[in-house]
Amino acid sequence: MALLRFTSLRVLRCLLTLWFAVSVTFFVVRLLPGDPALAIASPTMDEAQRQQILADFGLDRPLAVQYVTYLGELLQGNLGVSFRQSVPVSEVLLERLPWTLILTGSALLLTLVIGLPLGVLAATHRGGALDRVIQVGGVVGQSLFVPTVGIALLYTFGLWLGWFPIGGAIDDDVYGLEAYASIARHLVLPCLSLVVLQIGAYVLTLRTNLIDALGEEYCTVARAKGAPERRVVWKHALRNALLPTTTLVGLQLGLLVGGAVLTETIFAYPGVGRAIYESVGQLDFPVLQGAFVLLAAAVVVANLLTDIAYGLLDPRVRAA
Amino acid sequence: MSGLSEELTTAVEPVAGPTPAARTWRAFRRNPLGLVAVGLLALLLVVALAAPLIADYPRGYGEDVLAGPSAAHWFGTDHLGRDIFAQVVWGTRTSMMVGLGASALAIVLGVAVGVGGAYFKRVDGVLGLLVDVMLSLPVLPLMILVAALAGPSVTTLVVVIAVFSWPEVARVVRSQALPIVGLSYVDAAHVMGAPNRWVLLRHVLPAVSPVIAVSVVVTASRAVLSEAGLAFLGLGDPSSWSWGTILYNAQRSGSLSSSWWTAFFPSLAILLLVVAATLVALAYNDARNPRTRQDGAR
Amino acid sequence: MSTSRGFGRRVALGAALVLALAACVPSEPDESSDGASGDASEGGDGGGELSIGTTADVVNFNPLVGNSRTDSWVTNLMYPAMMTIDDEGTKVPALATEWGYGEDGLSAWIELRDDMQWSDGEPLTAEDVVFTIDAIKAEQLGTVSGMIGAYESAVAASDTRIEFTLSRPDGAFLNSIGFWMPIVPEHVFGQAPTVADFANDSDWVSAGPFVLTTVERGQRYVLEAVDGYPLGEDDSGPALDRVVFRVYPDVNTEVLALRSGEIDLIGNALPPSVARDVSGDDELQTFSVPSLGWAHMQYNMRRPPLDQVEVRQALAHAVDYEAIREVVLGGNAVSSNSSVLTPTFAQWVDDTAEEYTYDPDLSRDLLAQAGVENLELEMIYDAGDPNISSWAELVRDQAAEAGITITLAGLERNTYLARTNDRDFDIYAGSWAIIDEPQSNFHLLFAPDGFINYAGVNDPEIDRLMVEASTALTVEDARGPLQELARIVTEQVYDNVMYVEQFTFAASNEWTGFQPKPSELLSVVNPQSLASVRAAD
Repeated sequence: MALLRFTSLRVLRCLLTLWFAVSVTFFVVRLLPGDPALAIASPTMDEAQRQQILADFGLDRPLAVQYVTYLGELLQGNLGVSFRQSVPVSEVLLERLPWTLILTGSALLLTLVIGLPLGVLAATHRGGALDRVIQVGGVVGQSLFVPTVGIALLYTFGLWLGWFPIGGAIDDDVYGLEAYASIARHLVLPCLSLVVLQIGAYVLTLRTNLIDALGEEYCTVARAKGAPERRVVWKHALRNALLPTTTLVGLQLGLLVGGAVLTETIFAYPGVGRAIYESVGQLDFPVLQGAFVLLAAAVVVANLLTDIAYGLLDPRVRAA
Repeated sequence: MSGLSEELTTAVEPVAGPTPAARTWRAFRRNPLGLVAVGLLALLLVVALAAPLIADYPRGYGEDVLAGPSAAHWFGTDHLGRDIFAQVVWGTRTSMMVGLGASALAIVLGVAVGVGGAYFKRVDGVLGLLVDVMLSLPVLPLMILVAALAGPSVTTLVVVIAVFSWPEVARVVRSQALPIVGLSYVDAAHVMGAPNRWVLLRHVLPAVSPVIAVSVVVTASRAVLSEAGLAFLGLGDPSSWSWGTILYNAQRSGSLSSSWWTAFFPSLAILLLVVAATLVALAYNDARNPRTRQDGAR
Repeated sequence: MSTSRGFGRRVALGAALVLALAACVPSEPDESSDGASGDASEGGDGGGELSIGTTADVVNFNPLVGNSRTDSWVTNLMYPAMMTIDDEGTKVPALATEWGYGEDGLSAWIELRDDMQWSDGEPLTAEDVVFTIDAIKAEQLGTVSGMIGAYESAVAASDTRIEFTLSRPDGAFLNSIGFWMPIVPEHVFGQAPTVADFANDSDWVSAGPFVLTTVERGQRYVLEAVDGYPLGEDDSGPALDRVVFRVYPDVNTEVLALRSGEIDLIGNALPPSVARDVSGDDELQTFSVPSLGWAHMQYNMRRPPLDQVEVRQALAHAVDYEAIREVVLGGNAVSSNSSVLTPTFAQWVDDTAEEYTYDPDLSRDLLAQAGVENLELEMIYDAGDPNISSWAELVRDQAAEAGITITLAGLERNTYLARTNDRDFDIYAGSWAIIDEPQSNFHLLFAPDGFINYAGVNDPEIDRLMVEASTALTVEDARGPLQELARIVTEQVYDNVMYVEQFTFAASNEWTGFQPKPSELLSVVNPQSLASVRAAD
């Protein structure tokens, strides 16, 4: 019961968050300098035509009216029409969203799969050489500048060794299993640079939390009861250490999505992040807004999942 | 009165003797990584402060375009023949300024919101929602937007990065503070009629300070990286050299793929600064924490 | 206890994500046509596939509306122009074979080839040309609408002959529409209520060497060869099987892709540093083509003290143009001798023109004459333009030598366009991509109501010369007034022409037969060139 109430509250909060995000992005985007008409109407057009185009896109109406119109359309799943490409924004973005989800999803999964054992290893060997190596490795990864990593990876594995393609997400005319293989090949380098970027945060956080947990009374008690150290680490300590780490997943998602903008840009990966980068240069408001809303929604939903997981794991939160 | 908490403290710190600070410092000195990192930070700070003494301000153009590292140009030259060593030296200034400024601003905001949210239940909902909202916005794209909106300058970068960095601090601090606020000794303090300020200063802040220390580092390093990212996308301050500006020039002129030194040295500078700062914080954290301290307490 | 639960949830979350993604993916390859063979590569009987790198997506598939570079590259391969341009900057036949004006200059005619047809089998006739120009006039479409002020009406006298009626003599009319106006199929574009609204984003019909078949935004644009295109080297059609435009984020990645063999040609002009690097690569070939425009600075004469000619001259003499061409452009630029009649157009060029000397002392004297002290100005430019952003810094540093303070404002492209459009600047730095018909284009540049008269030129003598030049129907008649006009522009510093860029393009050695043409727009991706490309032996 408590959990149900907790969950529904979180969902409500999610919706509120989304609404706020939508509003903020809408107004921030409108406040950008530069005549929006220039982005859609050719400079050689005469005034009447420009006005016509502005009217077509609703840009001549007051901001408040534009805002209400936008919210209304959004509820119906209509994200507007791209100024530049004259096609629905949802069409532009939805054909790109899967690529971003694949990229960030696989990067997240790989980070967790590699990061968890590394964190445990570092914590159980604290102070040792292995701990140092893992710590420094994690820190270095976090500190690298994404585009530099991207170019270095491209240069090494794309050009010199020729193992992976330079850009894109899939080869032409591949089907079935071949398509999966092609997608995987194109995914390796961008995914790798995202993993390098964020794995440090997971490893270091887990390490710290695990070391804390290992010093807790219940671990001492478990040891006193004769439980083998392996069991103490993986069963008792890790459970508690994972709690704050769960928070990190939601926290890192925003960063991951941000990193995706740079990564997708460098690796010519056709995702939403690159659409954002391109749209900023073109002042394509509808695409920008749509991309923000979409990414914000993805992060909010992921945060919701972490919150619920947190609630399930932590009896204190569950009871609250 | 505070007997309960005294007990708890002594329970985990059985070694009596020197003050905690002295013990922390003693443990810190034993960590070679931490010491090396401190040295690096100091070196970078000196470079930032003494930039005019080390190299001439890079301007104009040079004869040797895109020359590799040599005795005359330690880090090579860029597409206009300007010395990259000089650019990196002067870039240290801007990048450190942005990093420290943004971090300070973000920490103040983040700790206030984080601790406030955990402690004052009435505002927790609102603050939590605000943090959620900020975190749900894709940060880098929003930074791009706002930086473009406000016009490129160092001040803009500092404010933009800080405005979008504090929620992370707030969230971590809050999650750390929440269990502490619920602990029995804090409740006991309340029952004893201790004022909020006293409880916050005496119990909550000290308890979250390791998290704050880590946050300072993480935020400062993110700020330097964000600055580089924004500059790389063309949103840096064009009138001052930063590491990001050097990288942006390399990317825009197309020398990134042909002349490795144009990107390598500024990237290395970023890496060194961020790694050093992070290691210092980690070492400090470890030294502070009796459980991870390697002073034979266990 | 619940450790496994925590893990389980974590794994479930990841698995769900991956499942969701996997569900998205298989639909992708299904989109392409079933007929395409799995490995259509070079060799064998096929002519192979030419991959071209670009840094932008196609924004608009309607050639009458779209105007970005990638738009033009793709649509130029499908919608033929009546004329093209040769190395001298002269208009030469393409779809058209002959053209001319009536005695009084109030009529004109164009004769078309009779062997062109649309890819759906319909013949390309004079009716399509009439439809295109009428649609442009009626709906004021794109840049061409600004060039046809003299146009009244047109009729298709036969399948291959169009006759135009003009309201006034305009010696640039035929060349302008011949070069700039892509001919679109009436039986396709005429279906839409208005041509401007016709998105043209599927079922393409082409009369060029290639036709678009597959579009994957952010990734690639595939164009299949069309049989029978007569303008290539082999008049039975292109040797290639297909052309694929691939989208890359920037030139750095493009170069890596070219070197790794992922693409065969970079569509964009290479920045000087890359051009230098690439020219030493044995596996690549490079092409050098001149710009059809120029790079320049303009001084806003609406703002004192820039209304004084001495101040403008002081600014013009405070720049080391040779250094800019050598260092920033890496020598890939020629001097225009500060004249708006650039060396690219041999027929107009004035041999007596001389470049402003770099002389900071002269600048100081000129400023003193004008009684101006502590001159502080702001210079705006498109921060995305690598060359201009670089030389802007040089201009600033050199002006400082002459005691002039220039603040740089490198702007995001749209902001920059907005500010130039509002004439909100002290100094404007930029470049014209193509100024191919001085007779008509100069009106846009220097008439008081000229659309791109950023500096605010308002000079009756210039206006008189422009009328004289535009009504002249032959090159010989127009040359005199144009050269006189150019001299005044230089003298008064109405437009400070700094250089004419020589663009460098790079392609893999595995291909041969490219036909480079001037400008970044035509370069080696123009239809005649791609229709002639074949695998090297």
